[in-house]
Amino acid sequence: MLFAEITYALTGIGLFALGLRGALLRRSLLGRIIAINVCGAGVFMLFVAIAYRGPGQAPDALPHALVLTGIVVAVSATALALALGRRLRDSDHE
Amino acid sequence: MNSLPVWPIMLPLGAALLAVIWPRRSAWIGIAAGLATLTAVGLLMAQVASRGTLVHALGGWEPGLGIALRADALAVALLLMSSLVALAAGWYATGYFRDADRQSQFWPIWLLMLAALHAMLLSADLFNIYVTLELLGLSAVALAALGGGRAAIEAALRYLTVGLLGSLAFLAGVAVIYARYGTLDMLTLAGLIEPEPASWLALALMTAGLLVKSALFPLHFWLPPAHANAPAPVSAALSALVVKAAVYLMMRLWLDLFAPALDPASAWLLGLLGAAAVLWGSWNALRAQRLKLLAAYSTVAQLGYLFIFFPLLAALPAGPARDTAFGALVLMALTHAFAKSALFLAAGMIQQQAGHDRIEELGGTARALPVTTFTLALAGVALIGLPPSGTFLAKWQLLSSAFALGQWLWVPVVAAGSLMAAGYMFRVLGFAFGPGDGAMQKLVDGREELPALLLAIVATAVLGLGAAALWAFVAPGALLMGAQR
Amino acid sequence: MMAVQLWQLLDLLLAGLTLGLGWAAVSGPDLRRSVVFFIAFGLLVAVVWARLRAPDLALAEAAIGAGLSGALLLSALRDEPDAETSDDVRGGPVAALVSLAGLALAAAFAWVMIHTLGAADPVRLADQITAQLPNSGVGNPVTAVLLNFRAYDTLLELAVLLAAVLGILALGPARTPYRAAGPLLDGLIRWLVPLLILTAGYLLWAGAHAPGGAFQAGAMLAAAAVMLRLGGHTIAGLPRPPMQRILLTAGIAAFVLVGVITTGLGLAFLQYPGGWSGGLILLIEAAATLAIATTLALAYIGGRPAGWVSEGSADTTTKIGGRD
Repeated sequence: MLFAEITYALTGIGLFALGLRGALLRRSLLGRIIAINVCGAGVFMLFVAIAYRGPGQAPDALPHALVLTGIVVAVSATALALALGRRLRDSDHE
Repeated sequence: MNSLPVWPIMLPLGAALLAVIWPRRSAWIGIAAGLATLTAVGLLMAQVASRGTLVHALGGWEPGLGIALRADALAVALLLMSSLVALAAGWYATGYFRDADRQSQFWPIWLLMLAALHAMLLSADLFNIYVTLELLGLSAVALAALGGGRAAIEAALRYLTVGLLGSLAFLAGVAVIYARYGTLDMLTLAGLIEPEPASWLALALMTAGLLVKSALFPLHFWLPPAHANAPAPVSAALSALVVKAAVYLMMRLWLDLFAPALDPASAWLLGLLGAAAVLWGSWNALRAQRLKLLAAYSTVAQLGYLFIFFPLLAALPAGPARDTAFGALVLMALTHAFAKSALFLAAGMIQQQAGHDRIEELGGTARALPVTTFTLALAGVALIGLPPSGTFLAKWQLLSSAFALGQWLWVPVVAAGSLMAAGYMFRVLGFAFGPGDGAMQKLVDGREELPALLLAIVATAVLGLGAAALWAFVAPGALLMGAQR
Repeated sequence: MMAVQLWQLLDLLLAGLTLGLGWAAVSGPDLRRSVVFFIAFGLLVAVVWARLRAPDLALAEAAIGAGLSGALLLSALRDEPDAETSDDVRGGPVAALVSLAGLALAAAFAWVMIHTLGAADPVRLADQITAQLPNSGVGNPVTAVLLNFRAYDTLLELAVLLAAVLGILALGPARTPYRAAGPLLDGLIRWLVPLLILTAGYLLWAGAHAPGGAFQAGAMLAAAAVMLRLGGHTIAGLPRPPMQRILLTAGIAAFVLVGVITTGLGLAFLQYPGGWSGGLILLIEAAATLAIATTLALAYIGGRPAGWVSEGSADTTTKIGGRD
């Protein structure tokens, strides 16, 4: 169990919990979206932390691929959420 | 290498691409794809029935390094349900969207949703399931937002944000599994999972995510507005298929993959939440003023019944009793899918003709739309659980298992739920058969009522009378992956 | 010994900063500040990826996670003049309960992870990947996993992108465009856009044996489109709508076609025939790059660009109050 592995795994867990709390407590859509993204970054950090095998060995490439997929999925969802929010605001001004 | 499991996914996906490139032909592409997919599913079903579970290792790589598709009896039964309901709802949609642009926006996303659903049912890799969950969620949200009104957009947005949190919780669980067991392939994991904190945490996280997506009480709050405000064919798919996918995953995890790590008592939590869902959902359906809202609350209630099966299945030892109970669960899920989609399509028909779906002003519907009213009645039979519908047999089985195991709590809940279902369905029918003109316009095309009617007939008659065949097909697979040990 | 302690200090610092920025982004009452903190957070996470020997991820996070997401959030902020909400985070007993639950969850999670990471075998699938890398047609293990071993996941991921952008396009026309840029910004754009396109091409080509690949390359192109849009070019460098439709589907189409051909040859779906792996991967990646770039560009534009709708019919916005 490497020091770096455990440090970043715990950071990831912390971000996951922070993001979750923020998503539940924030009132504005923008705030919630930011919180969800932070939550996602936390899960990703957990994956990358367990992939790390120290300075001597190449890291485990599988979690890296998974996180790359996750980053793209996250941005797609963010874009859709923002578009929906914008449509909602436009309807309020009509 | 038998590549049959690939087609139910690739056919809708490829058709989605075509529908993007040729928007004016999108309806034709959609229906053709629906028929092709149904054919592929039928062939797959025939193969699984004769040769047993089919596995396809994508890319030719060993599962673990690569991803495997797995078609067993449960997956194939749900695939058939999905293809049939999607075809009927799609057929209805060709007449529902009067605006050509809306039609061309609808079809690509609809086909992507179908591909996602089939991909999830056939997937045997945990991370792949996460991706299919996201695809399903995003396409469902995009479809729900096609409703257009402020209520629809707001509901779609809530569905999206809540769904994203659920997916992330699921992904966190996947991370824990990979950290502990070093693989994501469900077939391999089936032999590895042990009762220890890592398994429990992973299951808890994944369950939390899936409970949000299957709208189990108290995480159901996003469902009624989303399903009630979406366009009718979309509501049908959302209630009948999309939420079922999450329940299917719960079944795979609790009754199959993680079963060796679980204490039967832990499933009681699911059962209790299910019971609360039945009561709360049915009560709100009774009080609903709008037909589509009633249908949405009814979905919350009916999903509750599915979760009540969990403590029963967890407590039963492997054997014919468990197989029968499992078959009942599948039967109930299938019947609900057909009945609820029929109800939503019928409600959509009424809404288009009358301009509204307020229950108390439905007078005269029976005269103006006799076929649709008949559909409502049939769907009602299947939702309440009257013979010969599949729901009747499933609830009967549920009650006998409860009696046999001494889990008495479920009996009054099921009884109360069924009574309330009778209450809200008869209320609707009462108004529909009542006097009034309901400001009905002349019916444009009688054929538009047909898909809903066919769905309702399947729910009420076909599934009930054909239940034995379904039982024989699904039940031997009740141990699914656990049999690999 | 000293070096190890230095690294540990660095890790603690980095982790602490990340948590701090994450906290600032999530808990600050001012929305504008939250967005800026979030962008900084994204960049810091990219540094963490670099620290953990994940350069592919660092590139992607910086370009997509911090860059594009940040751009999307900033434009959303522009449309929201009343971002002064000083009250954005709920308080009161419910909030306290949620925070407490979150803390409990984090504690339980942390305990399990420490327990697990100490005991479990750290090899997992890494050795299998290394063993099969020579058979995969590429030298970069992440590309091998994404485009060969688990290509099906990437296929579905492209479908997720498509679904999101179709949803965005169905909602209405594009956002209000920007004013034409002044001479300074315009000059900068004239330099940067060609550079970005070149970098994208390099990343695509290099992704086979070095950090890079279709996603990073696509993100570079999307960044060029964002720059053009910000400089007042409404169409953001995209081709006309019929071509846009083809580009959107190009990545998935390449995957599906290759897959259908391989099944026709009797192989598994997406099992590249011997010797062809490298070439097929490059082909699919090229198509995917274009698709990703178009998708992200349209997502940034925020709706249907001019001329999207088929000839003859009026542009129908999602009608509020209507039903179709």
